[in-house]
Amino acid sequence: MENRIIDKEKMNKNLHESLVSALLNVDRPLANQLVDDWIDVNGVDGVMIEIVNPVLEIIGEKYQKRKDFSLAQAYVAGKFAEDILNKVASQQKTITDDIAPKRPVVIGNIEDDYHPLGRKLVGIFLRAKGWEVYDLGVDVTAEKFIEKALEVKAHVIGASAMIYSTAVNIKKLREEINRRGLARKLKLAVGGGVFKLRPELINEVGGDGTAESAVTAPEIFEDLWNESTKEG
Amino acid sequence: MNSIERVFAAVEGKSTDRPAVTLTLSLYGSKLTGCPSEEYYTNPQAFADGQTAVLEEFHPDILFSPFALAAEGEAFGSQIAYLKNNAPNISRPVATSVEEVIKLNIPDIDSHPRLQFIRESVRLLSAKHGDSTPIAGITMSPVDLPAVIMGIDAWLETLLFDKEGTKRVIEITSQFFVKWANTLLSDGANVLVLPCDFSNPRIVTENILKEIATPVFKETFSEIKGPIIIHNGGARIVPFIKHYDMLPNVAAVLLDSRDSISKARDEVNPTRLLMGNIDGPNLYRKSPERIHKECEKILTDRQDDHHFILASSSADVAYETPKENIHAMIRAAKDFK
Repeated sequence: MENRIIDKEKMNKNLHESLVSALLNVDRPLANQLVDDWIDVNGVDGVMIEIVNPVLEIIGEKYQKRKDFSLAQAYVAGKFAEDILNKVASQQKTITDDIAPKRPVVIGNIEDDYHPLGRKLVGIFLRAKGWEVYDLGVDVTAEKFIEKALEVKAHVIGASAMIYSTAVNIKKLREEINRRGLARKLKLAVGGGVFKLRPELINEVGGDGTAESAVTAPEIFEDLWNESTKEG
Repeated sequence: MNSIERVFAAVEGKSTDRPAVTLTLSLYGSKLTGCPSEEYYTNPQAFADGQTAVLEEFHPDILFSPFALAAEGEAFGSQIAYLKNNAPNISRPVATSVEEVIKLNIPDIDSHPRLQFIRESVRLLSAKHGDSTPIAGITMSPVDLPAVIMGIDAWLETLLFDKEGTKRVIEITSQFFVKWANTLLSDGANVLVLPCDFSNPRIVTENILKEIATPVFKETFSEIKGPIIIHNGGARIVPFIKHYDMLPNVAAVLLDSRDSISKARDEVNPTRLLMGNIDGPNLYRKSPERIHKECEKILTDRQDDHHFILASSSADVAYETPKENIHAMIRAAKDFK
């Protein structure tokens, strides 16, 4: 019995390495095939916890270490996670058996910002980690963000902006959160290209935190969720 | 020496009276003239007045056409949004799929108002300053143009997962690129600047560059009737620089501020002009003294390398950058012995 567990762990570890290699080579079909083979043997239960999430964590670590990690690689990793989530969803009555419990989160591009790619990727990686993502799209006003967050009982809002001119609109969201007395129970994650170029912007717009990339975004949402539940 | 003589001496590797220096101050002209963004990016005279103000204030060795890449997307039918103190941006791409892209008409270079704005800006700059200062025409490469037609995500999806679709889209953008780039040259641009996003290491893998972008560049660049500067697109470019070095009509590569210039030099033809590498968008964050010192360090490092121009890297210098910071960079080149 013990040997069988060790063998499975070893096989999973080998699979993690093969998947990471496939994803870095932007080979989505190969990555899917490898997971399909695993599902054939082990069933769909546990694929997120045993295979997909560890692989995304390795990819996230690599992203932070490597200067040459590309958007294409992050994107393929995101699409891969989405593919597997869809497989799980189609083969289970609910996917909550595999990655429960779900927590609601609201994301969107701030008012006047029309750069959806980073936000969409964040949504994919959050879903892969079991969040229930309410994606409001581009050009979202402060009021819309907050109304949705209150409606779905989200504790974290993720506001994205690509450039300085639009990032400053996140201030309106900060002000509205404060004005309604929600600062302790509704946290504000900010992200987008401009925050990498200008880290001081996080404070300027009143963000509670940011992530290096979409791949690593779930960590900050996790931290902010925990913070809000402690404070709120 | 005037700026044309200085810049072309650097291209040829000849000695100059002082190091050539430039910053991407396409947007900054609007600050100098107090012109609102929408007016600045739609009225060629307003843009040209802004660039004249840039020249009179700072005397950079190269002037730039509008750094408004969204305008090319607008010419294909995408909607753009004008942003305060910034260049316009795509608000709604005209197409969401390959099928929609191939149904689009290639914009008429001689009649589309947005293209006319860019062309007239180049003509005005050339007429007023072209005898003494090189004019750089900024345009998108055939592998970047789809991003402003169908959006970054749809284009990335196509590029990664749809080989046939990629080919069909690039056929269209290549056709436009060659015609548009040559038109800018005939309107008075001395050189073209191509910000490379979907062919830099931050966006794509080396395999994508080799298998998709490089063949397209080889074919289309060979039809361009003037020199091309490969712009780093806001990412380190040294990991890919050897691929650019082999392309036809490429005269120079603009490095990222995080790139090592000496490493770049080792990777390319010894006579390849290298440009950079002061961080343009973040210039506002530094003191003039620090900027002067950083420039001096780069120039000292490059003093035996005549194929070099001190330049700002990445996107336009930010609107809020103090004038003193820009002066510090120009002064560093003028002070350098």
